[in-house]
Amino acid sequence: MGISDLLGGFADAITPVNLLFALLGVVLGTAVGVLPGIGPAMTVALLLPATYVLEPTSALIMFAGIYYGGMYGGSTTSILLNTPGESASIMTALEGNKMAKAGRGSAALATAAIGSFVAGTIATLLLALVAPALVQVAINVTTADYFALAVLAFVAVASVLGSSPLRGLASLCLGLYLGLVGTDVLTGQERFTLGIPQLSDGIDVVVVAVALFAVGESLYVASRLRKGSVQVIDHKGSWMTRNDLRRSWGPWLRGTAFGFPFGVMPAGGAEIPTFLSYATEKKLTKHPEEFGHGAIEGVAGPEAANNASAAGVLVPLLTLGIPTSATAAIILAAFQGYGIQPGPTLLTTEGPLVWALIASLFIGNAMLLVLNLPLVGLWVKLLRIPRPYLYAGILTFASLGSFAVNADPLDLVILMGLGLLGFAMRRFGWPVAPAVIGLILGPIAETNLRRALAISDGDLSVLVDSWFSRVVLLLALLALVGPVVLRAVRGRRATPEESAQQQEDREVQKAGNREGWGA
Amino acid sequence: MSTSTTEPTRKGFSGELVGAVLLAALGVYLLVDAGAIAIPGSSNTVGPRFFPYAVGGLTLATGALLALRVLRGDRGPADDGEDVDPDAPTDWRAVAVIVVAFVAHALLINVVGWPLAVALMFAAVATTLQGRMTPRAAVRPFLVGLTVGCVVWIVFVKALNVALPGGTVLEFLTSWF
Repeated sequence: MGISDLLGGFADAITPVNLLFALLGVVLGTAVGVLPGIGPAMTVALLLPATYVLEPTSALIMFAGIYYGGMYGGSTTSILLNTPGESASIMTALEGNKMAKAGRGSAALATAAIGSFVAGTIATLLLALVAPALVQVAINVTTADYFALAVLAFVAVASVLGSSPLRGLASLCLGLYLGLVGTDVLTGQERFTLGIPQLSDGIDVVVVAVALFAVGESLYVASRLRKGSVQVIDHKGSWMTRNDLRRSWGPWLRGTAFGFPFGVMPAGGAEIPTFLSYATEKKLTKHPEEFGHGAIEGVAGPEAANNASAAGVLVPLLTLGIPTSATAAIILAAFQGYGIQPGPTLLTTEGPLVWALIASLFIGNAMLLVLNLPLVGLWVKLLRIPRPYLYAGILTFASLGSFAVNADPLDLVILMGLGLLGFAMRRFGWPVAPAVIGLILGPIAETNLRRALAISDGDLSVLVDSWFSRVVLLLALLALVGPVVLRAVRGRRATPEESAQQQEDREVQKAGNREGWGA
Repeated sequence: MSTSTTEPTRKGFSGELVGAVLLAALGVYLLVDAGAIAIPGSSNTVGPRFFPYAVGGLTLATGALLALRVLRGDRGPADDGEDVDPDAPTDWRAVAVIVVAFVAHALLINVVGWPLAVALMFAAVATTLQGRMTPRAAVRPFLVGLTVGCVVWIVFVKALNVALPGGTVLEFLTSWF
């Protein structure tokens, strides 16, 4: 177990075809990571139809490459673009943007890229070590335990992502509803199809994901487009000096230590570990005066945490079949497209596939380092794409991906309808990811629940029969009630971004020159 | 109009109230319609209605609670992004143009082919977003859209065998391929 399997995985991953798909994946991933408005989840969703023509190994290697690549590309955007970005990379933006403005953009890009490489490699190694061990535990998991895990994932995703647990739940409910539409797999009964024949197969994952991410984002940005030309900061200066390296390696390792466990936990998400990493580096640094003005530790740590958590997310996905991020949920849908159900048996039934996937993550990581350091100038050009063309182009690809599924124009009308929903959710501050996870994990949760209850003859106590499910459900309850109680005790819960923003504000005030970043 | 403020409490009407009420209504619909799902005779355990009831109940409760919170002045922080100006007023016209252009292109695909339908949609969206809506300003976006549409169509149809109507002209021109 372990090393020999991994070596076998490398043998499979190093075939020319699979190397090509790994390269294609990381290139696409970096591109969508760099471009505002689209992310890895939407890109993988758009490429889901590729599962009809490609070998499972090739397709999954490409998807994993997109996932890792998106993490690298996001850092380039947050360092060089003059405006704040998404929440997972906002910690990188905090210091990286300041470094770029101070003419140290190259050093910021380098510490982000090398940090991502170091973290990605260590975390993938941990994935290879942890996964077989976890499978030994998970193999005894019953359907009731599995249902409990799904509940924990729902609650954690809903209450951790975004600023308000209730809004996360609202998003989750929408996803669960969309997952119910169609034909019940166990009894073949139609549910909530409104008598429309096209709906009896359910609403396609591609359509929902592309609508909520791509169309919703395009509509939302269009409604509040930042006018004027795009301002990209030049990346100047030397890559990394010896001093930079000395100050970076600690944060890289600590960031990895924060990121991986948080990725593994069903509470997923990269926001908390990046925030924790930033706060830790700020406390440990020998140059506290630089924080808020471009401290390299503040880029190195969060960026490593970000990438390590991406690898961590693959642990519950590959060993339990539980997705804890939107991209992982869509990769799960890709597995299902091949008739493979990720779960404890995956490593035994599809061992070569999983090990080839893990091996290709190491290879992809090395490719990404090359793609992102010497070739960064190429990606910066991508950042300058005029926004009207960018968003028109995103809609073009949304049309392509959704039409390719069934060649039915009705899908595109549904796409726009759900896109408007995504637009409204963004306005209201409802996070989108819980809806996608609800859509994909909902049917899995239902199947396990009904199997468990069928075995127990409808006795609900089977759900809390094992210690495992009791502990997991208790954690779910804590995740749901915890934030509410905390808010009641302390007033409104501040999100990591807000706390960081407040912290930064204080910092800037101290320095005496109050200049809003991104203004 | 704008919900972009990060202040936790703000008076005034919010669109989110409509969203929360609609969510509660969805919950009611799920609960009512779940009762109409046919149950195959023999099953004495949990059938196809159980999970819909649970989801319906959760949805109704979440919608109602959220509506209450919104009424009490709680506002969610609107999403931010690199290209979003949080202080800009909502440009409803841009939203309307995109919706109309996209639906129109969906209906046109089987008539004029995907590349031309997408080029028209691309032109409408890009022209609106660049802020100048004269016929002259639409020429460049249209040409860009047409190029993108044709290149993508050739790559996906000729190289990857995706089923996508190309329109009479393009299909004729590339029939030798």
